[in-house]
Amino acid sequence: MITAIVALSALAGISGLLLGFAAVRFKVEGDPIVDKIDAILPQTQCGQCGYAGCRPYAEAIAAGDADINQCPPGGENGIVALAELLGRDPKPLNPDNGVEKPKMVAVIDEQNCIGCTLCIQACPVDAILGAAKHMHTVIDRECTGCELCLAPCPVDCIDMVPVAQTITNWKWTYPGPAPEVRRPADRAAA
Amino acid sequence: MANAEPKLIRVEVAYARPDEQTIIPVEVPEGATLEQAIVQSRIQERFPEIQLNTAKVGVFGKLGKLAATVRAGDRVEIYRPLLADPKEVRKRRAAEGKRMGKGGGDLEPKAG
Repeated sequence: MITAIVALSALAGISGLLLGFAAVRFKVEGDPIVDKIDAILPQTQCGQCGYAGCRPYAEAIAAGDADINQCPPGGENGIVALAELLGRDPKPLNPDNGVEKPKMVAVIDEQNCIGCTLCIQACPVDAILGAAKHMHTVIDRECTGCELCLAPCPVDCIDMVPVAQTITNWKWTYPGPAPEVRRPADRAAA
Repeated sequence: MANAEPKLIRVEVAYARPDEQTIIPVEVPEGATLEQAIVQSRIQERFPEIQLNTAKVGVFGKLGKLAATVRAGDRVEIYRPLLADPKEVRKRRAAEGKRMGKGGGDLEPKAG
């Protein structure tokens, strides 16, 4: 009798300690759903969704304040991926937030750059290297194509150029909506 | 924990040309100068046109001195001179009848 009580208490104690240890050791910081949403967002930090960046938008979606169709750079594929993650129905991109465009990077025309630093201050991802009265250069690997540097430039010397798809930057696209299947019967009817 | 070894901090050294840009992560001892970080990154081997004694350097868009110390997370940048004379560019734009953009005027970064 005593042995059984001692054994069971010991077992309970050990399990308790283990659970307590696991709770501290494997503690989940923050809200994992925000991380998952943030991982789908394109990290352009362009603010077209109406939030300061991708992470704030992810937090707003998780909190239910924002809809999933406010990210033009993410486009149709991004919306479908978000809908799948959150178990909602995909919907078309909200035109108030902008239109989907191919990925671009900013390029500075060196003949016209006057070194004013305004684009550097506007860049959300520190992709422009330069200082006052020195040449500004876009680091194209860092540029997200958010276009936030275009408006501040006093001499309009920044152009957006489309990124050529190469082996190094090619990515799987998110699975889009199922293609329309045309059955032989339809074709016969057409 | 021995205190004899100086703590290493992570910084980046960056240089950009229109055709090629690079950001090299380096670990330097705490209290190192911009110059030490640049030398340690061996960025001059890739871009021989960098002349440390004449080049302007800085951290995150702010001009600094080679002898200044770096802090963890800094991006040490090596700058190139402007090709255009800002006055000429503005004159040309005025002659073409184009307005200066939103940021027009002689805007210098805030004192600092």
